Amino acid sequence: MSARFTDAVILGRRNLTARISEFTLGLADGTALPPARAGSHVELRFGGESGRFLRHYSLVGPLTARTAQEGFWRIAVQREDRRRGSDYIHRHLRPGSRLQISGEMSPFRMAQVGGMAQTEGMTQAGDSVLLVAGGIGITAMLPMLRSCVMRQVPVRMLYAGRSRAEMAFADEVKAMGGDRVTLHDQAALGRRPDLAALLAAQPPGTTAYVCGPPGLIAALGDEARRQGWPPERLRHEIFNAAHRPDDAELTVRTASGREVRVGAGTTILDALEMAGVDTLSDCRRGECGLCVTRLKRAAPIDHRDRYLTTQERAAMDQIAICCSRPKDRLIELDI
Amino acid sequence: MADDSPRHGLTDDEQVYARMEPHDPGQFANHATPLVRNCWYVCARRDEIGRKPLARRLLETDVVMYRTGAGQPVAMRDRCPHRAFPLSKGKLVGDRLICGYHGMEFQPDGLCARLPAISHVPANACVQTFPIADRGPLTWIWMGAPDLADEALIPALDWLGDPAWGTVTGHFHVRADYVGMHENLIDQTHFPFLHPNTVGTPEYARSKLEVSTADNQVVIRRSLENSAPPGVYGNPAKIMHKRVNRSSEARFVSPAAHTAYARITDPAPDPGQPGLYRYNITHVFTPESHNAIHYWWFNSRDYRIDDPQIDRFMLDAHSQAYSEDVEALEWITDVVLNDRAPQQFELSFAPDKPGLMARRILYRLAMAEQGQ
Repeated sequence: MSARFTDAVILGRRNLTARISEFTLGLADGTALPPARAGSHVELRFGGESGRFLRHYSLVGPLTARTAQEGFWRIAVQREDRRRGSDYIHRHLRPGSRLQISGEMSPFRMAQVGGMAQTEGMTQAGDSVLLVAGGIGITAMLPMLRSCVMRQVPVRMLYAGRSRAEMAFADEVKAMGGDRVTLHDQAALGRRPDLAALLAAQPPGTTAYVCGPPGLIAALGDEARRQGWPPERLRHEIFNAAHRPDDAELTVRTASGREVRVGAGTTILDALEMAGVDTLSDCRRGECGLCVTRLKRAAPIDHRDRYLTTQERAAMDQIAICCSRPKDRLIELDI
Repeated sequence: MADDSPRHGLTDDEQVYARMEPHDPGQFANHATPLVRNCWYVCARRDEIGRKPLARRLLETDVVMYRTGAGQPVAMRDRCPHRAFPLSKGKLVGDRLICGYHGMEFQPDGLCARLPAISHVPANACVQTFPIADRGPLTWIWMGAPDLADEALIPALDWLGDPAWGTVTGHFHVRADYVGMHENLIDQTHFPFLHPNTVGTPEYARSKLEVSTADNQVVIRRSLENSAPPGVYGNPAKIMHKRVNRSSEARFVSPAAHTAYARITDPAPDPGQPGLYRYNITHVFTPESHNAIHYWWFNSRDYRIDDPQIDRFMLDAHSQAYSEDVEALEWITDVVLNDRAPQQFELSFAPDKPGLMARRILYRLAMAEQGQ
């Protein structure tokens, strides 16, 4: 478990908006971090009063298309609520603060469309990219824009936010992409972006990537289906569903009768691992099914995974412990 | 820079070398230096990549290459992310490569489209892909940071695909490192000794040499007027009885490529014969590991390009010369890797400067990628 993490230190911090701060991360031993691929994440592990936090953030990378390798990683964190991971980060992490970071994780990747489609003598549809960012989703879309600009892949970006003052990196993406970037300031314009017109305006074979609030992802998906986009040409980032603002602390009783406390900001899997209970897990985002565990007694579960079938969910006798939570304060697991 | 006054007792070459920058201490790449990854390397001849998956180890990474139904090249890790089964041992169905172990199906962009064991495909089920592009008879791959994979950086070797040029070609798998290969190619002082029967001509080796570096390239140029033609170029052109003017260039282009050209001007051509004979020589090679390379060479000419006798002569002469280089580099590698008794070897002398300059560039590129 600990081999997944390396000691790191906060190198710098600056406020981007009232709720979003940028943090730069370096390795504690001073060696350089490798440049991250567009769309990749890092998992941060840091302390809290009621157990530790594990949180994923998109690696933003350099803020211009010309910057050479930086040797550090950049994330931007939006403060979401009290007594949770993002709030802890905002309140406690300062230059010099220690934490642990995972290696680069790349579940949301850009297809190498440019490299394939620009092959000599072969101009084909499918070589252009549409990026749609909503709010803090810009952290995943900015590196994709940078990658397209640097590789000279045709790209368009729509970046929507509630107001210009709340849109982190707006100046940077505008400077990077110029006319290719449209900033949508919802407060100033008084309306949501016109996704139907946006999709209709793209050249045939465009691949779209979207990252933002669930409503935006759903709306873009609906519109893409309406316009007959092949499903594989619309890619969206799935945020880790494990943490919700109203999560409460709970207790897990294991097969041996041992009781493990699970903090409000911690998953059952994290708490069991920390307590030294043997678990199996891989994706930690409710997709692979490896952590699914039987309940000793059926109990109401808030299922947040994408692995269990509707029937399996309804039975309420198993739970993906990496992200789902029981509705009761005590749960008995066959583990 | 040194002054321009002639130095007493130095030959022309030595004076040129003496004027060359730089004399400051520096580090030079060798077989142990990290491989430069942010570079387009040749991964295959274009026609090697087709509908049958092609496996090749490039920069210590197992890669599988194939073409989609539309003819686009695809390069991905030759390793299933599930249990490391080589994907090249699987099946290509449509545009998807299907793992031969548990049937995971990968799209050309590396994303898993089907995972038979479970109903839903997790987003992390994907295999790394690499930017890849066809140019002329070659296909190039980018194994470094994908953001930097600008296809405009692929070396322009236009003559290889130009119908006005005729080319003979060969390839080797060499058990030596790419740094040594670069140094060999930009070092002409070994010609009379390693290649006595082909490219070594003492008169030319003493001619004036110009060396320059710019944009991470090293270029050496020579020219000689009113001289006998070298056999390797004069024989096929049937001008061995003449006095000609010669010029040549050798260029460290990038960690992946070395080019050279030779130009022979006949001031009094026979009727119907060219006054200028041009030869372009292309060496492209890609580290398989620190101690092995994939090496492809091309010798192109712009006269009588359909003459099979000239093709035969060029192929034989150059295969001979390059196999002598390959053999020497493999012997050297064996010594460098296995002779461990302590003593400083690798003394360098003035004529080694072009090679050292190329090795300094390789070192700096490698260290910059390491964040140093």
